[in-house]
Amino acid sequence: MHTLLIDDDPITTFLTERLLRHEGLSDTAASFQSPTEALTFLLRQIPAGLVPQVILLDLNMPMMSGWDFLDILKRHEVQLQGQCTVYLLTSSVAPADEVRAKAHPLVAGLLLKPLDKRKIQQIRDHVRPAA
Amino acid sequence: MITVAPIADTDIRFRSLFDNTPELILYQNEASIILDANPAFLALVEKLKEQVVNHPYDEFLPAEVRGLFREKLAEAFTGKTVRFEMYAAQGNSAPRHWDVMKVPVREGNRVVGVHMVARDITEKNRQQQEIFAQNKDLQQFTYIVSHNLRAPLANALGLVDVLGQERADTPEFEHAQAYLKTSLHQLDQVLVDINTILTIRDKVDLAAPEDVPLAEVVQQVRQNLQDVLHDCGGTLRTTIPAGFRVRGNRAYLYSIFFNLLSNAIKYRDAHRPLLVELTATDEAGPGPLITFADNGVGIDLEQAGADVFQLYKRFHPQHPGRGVGLYLTKTHVESMGGRIEVRSAVGKGTQFTITLC
Repeated sequence: MHTLLIDDDPITTFLTERLLRHEGLSDTAASFQSPTEALTFLLRQIPAGLVPQVILLDLNMPMMSGWDFLDILKRHEVQLQGQCTVYLLTSSVAPADEVRAKAHPLVAGLLLKPLDKRKIQQIRDHVRPAA
Repeated sequence: MITVAPIADTDIRFRSLFDNTPELILYQNEASIILDANPAFLALVEKLKEQVVNHPYDEFLPAEVRGLFREKLAEAFTGKTVRFEMYAAQGNSAPRHWDVMKVPVREGNRVVGVHMVARDITEKNRQQQEIFAQNKDLQQFTYIVSHNLRAPLANALGLVDVLGQERADTPEFEHAQAYLKTSLHQLDQVLVDINTILTIRDKVDLAAPEDVPLAEVVQQVRQNLQDVLHDCGGTLRTTIPAGFRVRGNRAYLYSIFFNLLSNAIKYRDAHRPLLVELTATDEAGPGPLITFADNGVGIDLEQAGADVFQLYKRFHPQHPGRGVGLYLTKTHVESMGGRIEVRSAVGKGTQFTITLC
């Protein structure tokens, strides 16, 4: 499962990487602590057809929030639709975020941190039929 | 012997109420002509009784509310007591919020006139709005705090999970352990922050303000940051009139300028030596005005928006920081009854303006 992880917190990044590895998914994970750098990376991958299957995106980041990130990504919706699923990872869920997540075409769900076995399985179940 | 004061004559009692109450009282007929007006009304519209009586009430109301007043008057003439709230001027007075009551006066089955009693609720409304705003603030604060408590806690929970799966003596195990410790410290730090913030908020009404010599406080800040300021080749230039004092709390003022100067040093532009200019003046407005300007990297305000002073908001991801400094600065300024504003241009610098009272 090609996974792109975007979270400004190094501890969360470490944690998610380890969890993915324990689930046997880590070999293809790329992670970024800067959403800007992640975006540059992703925008280079899109034309090459190398789109990650899953993006785990933190919402609360300085200067570029997860929502800002998605706004920019939306411009490439056509290339991403059906290829790439975004899961928002957040440490507290605001009702407004939930509404927004449901309405966003690229977002498959909002997951409360920390990631765990069960949530990873949920992502797998969602991605597998498409893969 | 006990003497019981005799009950005054009804007319005298009601006349005394009419004459002395701060509420506006008018007596009107069906055509909205004022037949009687109490001194409170006359004082507000600055007219003599004869300039008011036998005049239509419309003369004293702005055009946009006349229709409503007529409608309510007509309703009262059907025998109902009518009550409504309204924001309007009366005569040449400034517009105020009014709680208006129209009470019919009957003779037999017929309504012969209507008393209007209007109470000024401007101050009450203002206080309500203030409480409403404070409540919203607190709600926001709770949201932010809960999010920032949950973040390290979620990490700690996840790390405990991971520790159970890592083999001891591997670098990953050690990492997870160290991160767990860091997460718990972060959790503790948020609680310490809450405590600090609540303490400042608590003291809003308690701290006895003193006349603080600003130059002394700034000098203290300069001394304590001298080494870092010197190491980065920065300059702090101050223009404070001799004997300049501000009414407030010395510790808060120290914290405000310590924070601003620390930020200026931290977010200086590597392309030019740091220059900070602090200017104080008494002549700009009713209270002292202090500007604090640097030539640092600046903040992208368009992106940061209203968040600059918000708790745990950060604008320079490449620098370490917790997003507490400017929030505390604002809390300190506001707890002294002041205001702080920011202007900034990326690559040019940032300017804070503090107005105190």
